[in-house]
Amino acid sequence: MGFDLGHAFQVYQNLGGLVRIFLGILVAALIGTLVWYVFSEDERAWRWHYRTILVSVVTLGFALLLVGYLHLAIYLALPLELPPKLAPMINHWLKTMGHGVLPPYRPEAPPRFLLPPWLEREKFLFWFSGYAVMAIWACRGVSFRFTRATLSALLSLQLLILLFINPFTDPLPRFFEEIRPWTMPLSLMERARLFARLYPRMVFFYNAHYMWVHPPLLFLSYAALTVFFVACLSMLVIKRPELDQMAYRFARPGYIALTMGMLLGFPWALKAWGPNWWWDPKIASSIMMWLVFSTYFHARLYLTRRGMWSFVSWLGIICFVAMLYTFAASYLFPGEHTVH
Amino acid sequence: MRRFNYDFGLTIAAVILMFSLSLLCIGSMFYFKWADLAHVSPMVKVAYQERMNQLAAPLVGGLLLVLALCIPNRLLSSRWLNLLAGLMGALLAGIWIFRGWRLALLSLLLVSSVFQMVVLLLVLSGRKLNFRCEGYRAKLGSSLLHLGLVLFCLTVVLLGYTGFLPWLFWLATSLVFLGLVLV
Repeated sequence: MGFDLGHAFQVYQNLGGLVRIFLGILVAALIGTLVWYVFSEDERAWRWHYRTILVSVVTLGFALLLVGYLHLAIYLALPLELPPKLAPMINHWLKTMGHGVLPPYRPEAPPRFLLPPWLEREKFLFWFSGYAVMAIWACRGVSFRFTRATLSALLSLQLLILLFINPFTDPLPRFFEEIRPWTMPLSLMERARLFARLYPRMVFFYNAHYMWVHPPLLFLSYAALTVFFVACLSMLVIKRPELDQMAYRFARPGYIALTMGMLLGFPWALKAWGPNWWWDPKIASSIMMWLVFSTYFHARLYLTRRGMWSFVSWLGIICFVAMLYTFAASYLFPGEHTVH
Repeated sequence: MRRFNYDFGLTIAAVILMFSLSLLCIGSMFYFKWADLAHVSPMVKVAYQERMNQLAAPLVGGLLLVLALCIPNRLLSSRWLNLLAGLMGALLAGIWIFRGWRLALLSLLLVSSVFQMVVLLLVLSGRKLNFRCEGYRAKLGSSLLHLGLVLFCLTVVLLGYTGFLPWLFWLATSLVFLGLVLV
């Protein structure tokens, strides 16, 4: 007997609704305690604010687990299982049309969707969870009120965005739109045609090994870059070496993740799209962002020279703007990465 | 008179080149949208890519030249460096004029990778070299990172000649990763 996806979907929506309500309360608590922290000298203000950030991290972690549960349900309940008559025909097609790139269909183990938790709107949840963890870590290492307040103001903003985007009520709309016809009664030929459309998409996109490294590395780099941005912004206001160290402490893993994420996207793009994607807007903007980030590391070598402190701080801020621009490029520019 | 700091000059040149390349990337995005290149035939798209590659090639070449100069900067005096810069620039320009940008870039990449390998070997052997960063680990990381980046550029340029070379790509990626972790 198969797994009941309808029931799992309902559990996800119900618990997701609760998470959403709790996130709303958390945003209010975060903003409230942040205002208290900024405008009062009371030591309890930071303690309470810090606790609220911690609860936010735990809530985001729970939300990620919930996403994992839904994806597990999809894996168990939605195999691309073909009627026995179709298997030889599909395997012949895979051999001739797929040029041996697509693995053959095995009736004893039909292909299943192994979805990572950074698809569609869920990517915001993953990215912001990464930021929340890094923000907590950053807050522990620095005592400047401006830096701490900016870090948590950005966290509040991200939780608000998450509430607005809402990956909980209607999860994975594009995936379900693609897969919905599969769950309906179809003739043999219709099912074969649908399989021929869904299977390459599964192999080259959803289940691709690169899917498990390319996007998460980039989202983690975005999270680290946000903390790095806060540190650079603080450097303009407070000229203390601790802030430069904080900026570098987050810039380094952010740069590693960004570089590796971009590099690992290269063979994936060649495999999935062929050689015809170079100078695609998203690629161009990613290269632009990487170059700006690289200039930061080069300029930082001369931080002690006159005028370089401000220059390096501004470079960090430009880096963040470049990151936002690169992210927005998927929505604003046409190309292979476009989100419709 | 204040003495010209070669290292600082090279860094500023690298920063300017990287910024210019960034601006070119932004320009290409708007052009792509304006010309609606997402919905054109593959032939038109290839022509566009070739044109963009041609525009980017001098900047990438400049970056490689700066990188190549950074390397002997660790070994040679500034007088020899100027001579080397002139020679490499002339070589690049000559190949560019007579054999096209792709071969010029390829030649520069090959020369750069040899330079990077020499520096890597010297660092590994423990020889004292003129680096901006301190410590054996950071020097080793920097050498590995730059060698990896040059090899990655080589993978991209070689796509047009030999197709995708997985071994070269994975070698470059491993070197970049090791370098980033160490530096």
